[in-house]
Amino acid sequence: MDKRSAAGSTSLLSKKVNIVGDIEGNEDLHVEGRFKGTIKITGNILVGPTGVVDADVEAENIIIQGKINGNVLARQQLEIQSLGQLIGDCSAQSIDIKEGAVFEGRSNMLKPAASPARSTQPGTK
Amino acid sequence: MGLFGKKDNAQRPPAAPAPAVPKGSAKTSKQDMAQDTTYFGKNLKINGSVSGEGSLIILGSFEGKFDLKGRLKVAQGARIKGDIKATDIYVNGDIEGAITASEKVHLDNTARIKGGITTPRLSVLEGARFDGELQMSNRTSQAPKPVSPEPKQTSPASGIPHKNETEL
Repeated sequence: MDKRSAAGSTSLLSKKVNIVGDIEGNEDLHVEGRFKGTIKITGNILVGPTGVVDADVEAENIIIQGKINGNVLARQQLEIQSLGQLIGDCSAQSIDIKEGAVFEGRSNMLKPAASPARSTQPGTK
Repeated sequence: MGLFGKKDNAQRPPAAPAPAVPKGSAKTSKQDMAQDTTYFGKNLKINGSVSGEGSLIILGSFEGKFDLKGRLKVAQGARIKGDIKATDIYVNGDIEGAITASEKVHLDNTARIKGGITTPRLSVLEGARFDGELQMSNRTSQAPKPVSPEPKQTSPASGIPHKNETEL
């Protein structure tokens, strides 16, 4: 799969680190620690099993193995894995919720044509 | 001549398998370390405050506060505005703000710093820029200075070994 595209590298927020504030940029992000604020990136987000995110999140693909409290916008796909929790509304082009996952909120499907994500992709092969 | 060659051959085989074992384990420990090291890529902008434990490498821009128990590396090209506290701080990038390290600060040759540094140990490479004030904090936790004369030492015989002990 070409889920690992667009962004240059993967940033990691590790287990014992807390951040309060805003993150933005063009990068993949892996969260294992705690984050509070807003995240707006043109990359993918993986919230790992120990990750807790109290934030509105905007990204290409979002994979939740930990917790997100806040509204989520995935320009492509949102995936909540079996131990994942999403408390908040989501908007995504496609959603994948595994058995055992927790999702409380509204879901809003985006139309593929409406997504501005295409322009960020450098020639796919 | 023959003796040297013989010795070499005889000693090599037992030594060879030793480095093979850590090689495999080094890979896994490297991965574990990667999980512990928070890493902010160069395309990331962060506003806010960071706290916690572990080492942190920053390549992007950051505005706010750092309060870290561990090692902070500010890579070349990284920009930081704000106050920084950590155990060790290695700087290759730009920092504007107060830097406080509980152990040491290292300024590499591409470092640009505007602001104060407080640290017990400092190393600076040629080419680093530092505009500001430096304070090497007093280590008050160390043993009291032997300057004050102590009348307790009555016998000279016991005084000599005591002095040797403190020097060690």
